[in-house]
Amino acid sequence: MKGIVIYGDYGKILVRQKSGESIELGELLVAETPKGNILMHVYDLAYGSQLSQQHLELVSGITLEEGEDLEFMEPHLRNYTLAFLKPLLMISKTRTQLCKTLPDFFSAVREITQDDLRHFTKPKNPITLGKLRSGSKVLDFDISLDGKKVLSHHVLIPGTTGRGKSVLVSNILWGCADKDYCGMLVLDPHDEYYGRNRPGLKDHPKKGSVIYYTPKNPPPGCNTLKINVMNIRPHHLNGVIDFSDPQRQALGMYYKQYGQRWVESVILEKPLDVQFKDDTLAVIKRRLLYLFDLKFVNNRLFCNSIFDLQAGQTTIQDICDDLEQGKTVIVDTSSFSGSVELLIGSLIANEVLRRYRKHKMDNTLEDKPVISIILEEAPRVLGKAVLERGDNIFSTIAREGRKFKVGLVAITQLPSLIPREILANMNTKIILGIEMAPERQAIIESAAQDLSQDNRTIASLDIGEALITSNFARFAMPIRIPLFDDLVKQAGKKTVKQDFLGVK
Amino acid sequence: MRFAHMADCHLGAWRDPKMRAVNLEAFCRAIAEMIEEKVDFVLISGDLFNTSLPPLDILKTTVQKLRLLQKKDIPVYIIAGSHDFSPSGKTILDVLEEAGLVVNVVRGDIVDGKLQLRFTEHEAGVFITGMLGRKGMLERSYYESLDISRLKGEGFKIFMFHTALEEFKPKELEKMDAAPLSLLPKGFDYYAGGHVHSPLETSEEGYKHIVFPGPLFPNSFSELEQLKRGGYFLYDDGKITFKPIQVYNVFTLDIDAQHRLPEQVTSDILERIEDKEFTHTIVLIRVSGTLEAGKPSDIGFPEIFSRLHEKSAYFVMKNTSALKSKEFEEVKLEQKSVSEMEDGLIREHLGQIKVSGDEKALIKGLMSTLDEEKHEGERKQDFEQRILAALDGQH
Repeated sequence: MKGIVIYGDYGKILVRQKSGESIELGELLVAETPKGNILMHVYDLAYGSQLSQQHLELVSGITLEEGEDLEFMEPHLRNYTLAFLKPLLMISKTRTQLCKTLPDFFSAVREITQDDLRHFTKPKNPITLGKLRSGSKVLDFDISLDGKKVLSHHVLIPGTTGRGKSVLVSNILWGCADKDYCGMLVLDPHDEYYGRNRPGLKDHPKKGSVIYYTPKNPPPGCNTLKINVMNIRPHHLNGVIDFSDPQRQALGMYYKQYGQRWVESVILEKPLDVQFKDDTLAVIKRRLLYLFDLKFVNNRLFCNSIFDLQAGQTTIQDICDDLEQGKTVIVDTSSFSGSVELLIGSLIANEVLRRYRKHKMDNTLEDKPVISIILEEAPRVLGKAVLERGDNIFSTIAREGRKFKVGLVAITQLPSLIPREILANMNTKIILGIEMAPERQAIIESAAQDLSQDNRTIASLDIGEALITSNFARFAMPIRIPLFDDLVKQAGKKTVKQDFLGVK
Repeated sequence: MRFAHMADCHLGAWRDPKMRAVNLEAFCRAIAEMIEEKVDFVLISGDLFNTSLPPLDILKTTVQKLRLLQKKDIPVYIIAGSHDFSPSGKTILDVLEEAGLVVNVVRGDIVDGKLQLRFTEHEAGVFITGMLGRKGMLERSYYESLDISRLKGEGFKIFMFHTALEEFKPKELEKMDAAPLSLLPKGFDYYAGGHVHSPLETSEEGYKHIVFPGPLFPNSFSELEQLKRGGYFLYDDGKITFKPIQVYNVFTLDIDAQHRLPEQVTSDILERIEDKEFTHTIVLIRVSGTLEAGKPSDIGFPEIFSRLHEKSAYFVMKNTSALKSKEFEEVKLEQKSVSEMEDGLIREHLGQIKVSGDEKALIKGLMSTLDEEKHEGERKQDFEQRILAALDGQH
């Protein structure tokens, strides 16, 4: 027994801790009642004492100044810890349901055991996020959600640097790589998920399930990222570069008149049927040359970057095909400027959404896997300041992607920069430790479950600890994120015997 | 150094004897040109033949041409492609090699499960190796097991391969299986590619010249339409030039039949060819769209073909794969059992022809009778009689 219920109200149940026991913030406790066991979550702790404040100060003064150990009453009855709990679930013999009653006065509360979880069933298409955690103790019980629903209804992963966001995302990707129900697109600005020189997704045992694109020196079997300039349309630049209205109109006119060769036509200053100011045309030429890193020598265009006039004609289609086959595609964007990175993301995301809209119209969407786009430092594309300048494909996906089975996994240290409307659309939040109060507040206000009392719990989340709140979970679940390197080690390496028919 | 690089000859590919002859003629001309160009050697990057065991007439001419090269001391280095490779090992390429007409450069040793390719030395300082192509891109696993440490060294190095590369796939071949460039070993001076039926010459960091010559002669209606002719590349001391092989001229007609009647389409085509001569020309007619009325077979293709042949066309082909008729428009059905789908299709098409009695029952009866198969031991004549009797019984 950890303690007994003293009094309180629904959402604020006070428990006195038994002497010698220790109740932790975030711990899961169980009160046994005739109807079933009530699962409760500790959200705050306080001191309790039978002595008045004045007496406590006197006792501490004597101890400090006189060095005497003054005793009032029995020590284990005199001072104690009070825990503040909120009820989560009623676990009966046959099922679990949301708790709508209070435990009896003086009910004993104990720590949660494996046996209490026997009615928790694994959802369809499970995506495992970690082990259930009670305070700092970890139970050998996997916390899984329905991946198909979770990924299509967007996920937010807020947390301060170093709290385990990358490990969590690596774990999610590892778990999804061999699942047919989802394709994952990772725009990786730190080139950390594939694991060129350390454990990473490259070590996944399902061969061919992880595709890696990088602009330079790809490891054998990986793709050089090349994008053909002719695949780019003016609308792909929305949210990537700010163009004035006349500049935007000029781009549109070039596309209308010259089709796929519009970029080349802008650079070569080909004539337009409609008159634009020379300054306007000069600015768009300069900005396109800079964005695509093109060189214009002797009336000929040369490419220096990932944008190419010859190669990369099918890159975007290939990436989308892989995603539609439920594969994980990692695009290393570590060497790109912000706008180039956004443009690449925009090109792929636009094509993904276009295809899935068509699948919906053709009534074939049901057979397709969910496609989820992982966005690091999400406020760069979903931030209030960015969206004030106009919508982009990511904000469109945030608002309506779920109807087409396209979702976002937005990762950020600063969730408060994302508009409330978009935060509310992120139906699952995997919250890691956040020190800054305004950031915690932004999360609490948009959470799927009532987290109004969990401010301290979130602030106290240690490295590798998280709290999941989701429309697809019964209650906000505390978890411990397993170490990614351990997953890789467990998987081991398989060697397949290879024949070399035809080699002399 | 001067060498020629070709691929995807697909000798024996065309079903029609006239087109098959053009294909072979392209090969003969290419060899003649290569001899005239005084090349030091010839590279064939896979799919010399369309099958591993080609017809004898094709083989005979091929051997004659390869012998011409042999007489001129021009070695031919080859690799097997996805069409002429045989997993059973029974490929004519082996016979040609045994006869000393070609050298297969896909040579190597398996050491600790890794494939260590060996170079074939052409002459001092020129080293050639390569990787065969297999159907379904099964060669990918060969590349993944490649030990590239043995492929370093001095000299002019050539790597022959028969694999599409992801980065350089043309848009029209986007569904083609491909491997990333990174699977190819780095540091070679010339990457002699095959398999992709579209010419390309490019380079990337670590990969000096990546070259796909495309087919020596186009292999299908759409390839002919798009490429008009094939060719090979000539390497001359660092200068790389595409050498087209034009056996016949190619004339294409692309007709939009949308909202038009078959007669209108016919007269449109006749009008377009009226003032032209087609001597030494292959004519391709593509008709697409949905006809306002009538069926694709109502278009006067016999008359058109006859007019073209009168105008000395060498060969005429039509493509109506994207031509639809309103009378038999595509019907979309939900995925159900076969019999439910059949019922649905019949329902969609009822009333289009005049029949006496129950049309649906008649169609189902016909389908059932025509589904009958010849019994074991049953003579063809008896089988025909039985089916005809069953059909008579339905009237």
